[in-house]
Formats: sequence, structure tokens, C-alpha cells
Amino acid sequence: MTVTDSTPAIEVTNLSKTYRRAFRKTGTVALRGMDLSVPQGSAFGLIGPNGAGKTTFIKSILGIVQPTEGAVRVLGGSPEDARIRARIGYLPERLHLPHAWTPTAFLATVGRLKGLAPDPAGNLRLLERVGLSDAVGRKIGGYSKGMRQRLGLAAALIGKPDLLVLDEPTDGIDPMGRMEVRRILQEEVQRGTTLFLNSHLLAETERVCDRVAILADGRVLREGRLDELVRGASRWLARFAPGVSVEALTQAGFVQGRADGVYHVDAGDPAVLNVALDRARAAGALLVELRRDGMDLESVLLGTVGAGASRVEVAA
Amino acid sequence: MRPVLGIAGYVLREAASRKFILAFMVGITLVLAVVAVSLRLEVIDGALAASRLFGKELRGNIQSIDVALRPVYQAAAFIVFYGGILFGIVACSDFAPGLMSPGRIEHLLALPIQRWHLLAGTFLGVMTLALGGTLYGTTGLVLIFGVKAGYWTVGPLVAGLMACVGFAAVYAVMLTTATLVRSAALCAASGFAFMVGGIIAGHRQDISTFFEEGLSRSAFLAVTLVLPRLSALAEAAGDIASSTPLEVRSLGTLLLGVFVFGLGALAVGFWRFEGKDY
Repeated sequence: MTVTDSTPAIEVTNLSKTYRRAFRKTGTVALRGMDLSVPQGSAFGLIGPNGAGKTTFIKSILGIVQPTEGAVRVLGGSPEDARIRARIGYLPERLHLPHAWTPTAFLATVGRLKGLAPDPAGNLRLLERVGLSDAVGRKIGGYSKGMRQRLGLAAALIGKPDLLVLDEPTDGIDPMGRMEVRRILQEEVQRGTTLFLNSHLLAETERVCDRVAILADGRVLREGRLDELVRGASRWLARFAPGVSVEALTQAGFVQGRADGVYHVDAGDPAVLNVALDRARAAGALLVELRRDGMDLESVLLGTVGAGASRVEVAA
Repeated sequence: MRPVLGIAGYVLREAASRKFILAFMVGITLVLAVVAVSLRLEVIDGALAASRLFGKELRGNIQSIDVALRPVYQAAAFIVFYGGILFGIVACSDFAPGLMSPGRIEHLLALPIQRWHLLAGTFLGVMTLALGGTLYGTTGLVLIFGVKAGYWTVGPLVAGLMACVGFAAVYAVMLTTATLVRSAALCAASGFAFMVGGIIAGHRQDISTFFEEGLSRSAFLAVTLVLPRLSALAEAAGDIASSTPLEVRSLGTLLLGVFVFGLGALAVGFWRFEGKDY
């Protein structure tokens, strides 16, 4: 099969996974007929509550977990294919590193297992890139949690993968370190790498990703472009210059916001919005800012999961 | 083959960082050094005339050096066989469960290697470790007695290799156990149980007489039939080390039996590992 740019980096259809245990009739259902497509070159975030099936999904697209049902295609092929996995960089949620090793030895081993030629200089550059250049000579056992995460990220970046699958990459990393990690991830996306990020830190996902899927109870509840998801459908935010009459604006259909001069208006149609604005201006109000009244990702997640929506809404 | 070697290297690097294994190597070195320094042999015309240990004369008949060294080599072969397997069970019990621990197995399985590479590499790494340790000890012994007595034999080396074959069968069971239960203690327990079973299997005909004729005896013989006959292999190793005629009827069949058992155990482990979720 020829892989083109239009081929999704990850494509799952009707993916189901039930963990069965010996001597038990029923199993634990982790994924229930999940459909998802991650475009190549995108920065894709997977969010959802605990037990939603995020880690199972990640393991499924890497061939670590065998799906009970459904099809998984990664980079145009099967995750069972070692050649496909050679193009993937993966950072597990709780990466267990060999304590007695040095970071260079660890990266050299990962590189060897990836079938790459030895590149000690390249490994040193990677360690420098993730901010571990001062700790190259130390054994991994002496590393802090954040340093281990950085090393895990360096291991994932070995061989310039086409797809980066990162499970909680900034877990344990301090705020400055998170900024550095974010910068690295953005550089990778600019390079053309597809980024698949699973993080509990929604602000992190919001800053890095351009597409997001919300997973709950083993199903994708919402999926689409981040700006589309966080955008309010019909709610607008307007800021007026000081001295405006609250009463006049209320009569024009505006609701006073928390900040001074900030008002909200519901207008699904541009004509309705302009009528409200014309009334406000006729009352002497001077408009200084107008934008869609967006939500943050947390509100989107809470709204989606809280509503218990079972339908899949594709925003883009 | 490269991924298998890569995993074997991974295991060996892990082993090199274990103080327990390093202490064992230092222990072997110290024993060899003590023997080399404290033992003096006076060999005249191929016969052992006198021997001193820590300066104290060991009384014994004057006899040909090869005959005199037989019990030494035989004892060494038994120590290497049983001691080596026991140490291997304890020292290597957590290699496979360690590789399969959460956070490590996911990382390894996401690399471009096949699942069987992981098990084969672990097995190869552990066997390289066992072979290296055995050859280090037995070669040291042969060199010491060769230099001191002028008697050179490869018997102890062959006996050491046979001990490795026995350990391979035991470790195959341990590796398979690790694919079923991720527990170092259970791996060690299964290895120990099969070692004891292998010792019993080597004497199954003698022991079977303690069972009443009929179902119990038949059941005992049936169960021990499939076990590797480790005690018979140890005795054969002792005979080869001491250059005495073999008591077992067919060494080839014995080795083949142990090999087939190990291969069967590994096949179960590979099959289980291929379909397991982590």
C-alpha cells in the first residue's frame, strides 16, 4: 500500500477491547467500538477521565494490547509490523528505566533495538535537547522523576520518528521543564511529525495540540479541531468603552459579564448579532472588542463527559 | 538475529550491574586464587608423590596424577552442576519478570522487535551469563591443576557445559513461568521445583520401587517421564570431568531429552507471550 499525506497517521475503526481474566465469564470492557482518525502532521490530544480507556487505546495502536474487535492502522500499516513501529517514538506513562545504566548507554541500547547505527554524538545532542546535558555522566538511578521523563522523551525521539505517542510526557516535570518539553514537541510537529498526546494536564494539551478527542467509557464522545471545540456556538463576548449604560445594553440583549465593560450576547445568526450591536451603539455604547465566547478545554471536557453524551460529534 | 542479540546485551548489562552476580564472580576468583596459592602438588614421573594444602601435608597413596585428581574433578563437576543451577535460579529469577515489569515491557514491545525476540534474547543473555560463569570457573580450575600437576584435561570444561545444558532446561521453565505470572519468587520456585523434579527423574526407576505396584507407581513413572533427568546428567558430567567410564547408557539420548524438554517449555512460553496483553 502506498502511504500518502492524506493517509491518516492513526486510523481505528470499531475498536473494542475487553480484558478477560481466567476463570471469569465477564471481562473488563476498556474500549467499546471506538472510531478515530488522526491526520498526519497533526498534534492530536486525547483527553478523558480516569478509566476512559486512553492508555488501552495507546497500547492498541502500538500492538502492546490485542484488540478484541476492530481494525487499527498506524502510518498506513499494522502496528504488528516492526517496520511500522520503527517509525514510532513512544513514551509510556510510567517508564521504568534501568537504574544502574547511564543515559547514554540506555539511548544506545534503544537505538540498537530500533535497528539504527550507533550514534553517540546524536545521543548526546538528544540529551542536550531535553535538558540533560549536565547529567550525562550520572546513573539513571540518581535521576529525579522529571529527569527520567526527559530521558524517556529523548528515547522516544531517537531516529526522528514519524509518529510520537506520548503518555503523560510532562508528568513530574517542573513548569520550566514543561515549557522546554512543549517547545521540543512543537519543533517536532513543525518538522512534520504527527504528535499523539495523552495528558491529564489539559492546559498542556490546549497549548500543544491542534486537534483533540474526548474519550469516556471507551468511546470517543467528541473529536475535532481544538479551536472548534472550545468555540461557543452562538455566544459572543463584547467589550464596551467605559461609561456605557448597563440598562441600555440589557435592553439590547446583552448580559453583563464579570469584568468591567464586558458583556455576553447569544446570537446564532450574524444578523441577530448585528441588530444587538446596532441597538447598543444607538444607546451610545462604544464597542472596543468582539469575539466568540470560547470555553477552555476543561469546560469542554466537563461539559461533554458530564452530559453523558453518547453521540459522536465531529466538529471539523 | 540482531534484536535477539540486542536484548541479550540488555540482559547482560543488567546482570553486570547486579552486586549479587559481581560478588559471585569475585567469589569464584577468590576460591581459584586460594587454591592456586595454597595448594602444592609434587608430581614425579606422572605420579602424585605429595601434596600440601596451606603448607600442611595431605596424606595419600602415591598414585598416577590423573587417578589422584579424579575425585577433585568429580566433586568440582557436582558443585558446578548443582551449585551453578541453584545460583542461576536465585540470581536470574528476576531478569524476565523485570523486563516484563510495567513501564518497561510497554516500551520494549513498542520498539521494532518481535515478541519472540524479547524472550529469545532474555534466554540467550541468561545462558551467556551462565556459560561465561561456568567456563570461567572450570577453566580456572583446569589451568591451576594443569600448571601445578602437568595434567591437562577438558573433562571439567565439558562437565561445565553439561551443567549449562541442565540449567537451560530449568531456565526455560522459569522464563515460561514469567510469561504466565510476573513474579520473580514464582519463577525461582518453579525453577527449584523442576530442579528437584529433575533430580528425582534421574533416579525414577530406583525411586519407583517405593511406590506400590499399580496406579501410584505408574503415575509416578508417567510424571517423571517428561521431566529432564538432571541427576543422571550430573552424574554423567562427574564421570566426564573425572575421565571415568560413563554410567549412563546413552549420553546423547539424555542430552536430547533435556534439550527437548527445554524446547517444549520455551515453546509454551513463546506461545503465551505472543498473545498476552501488557
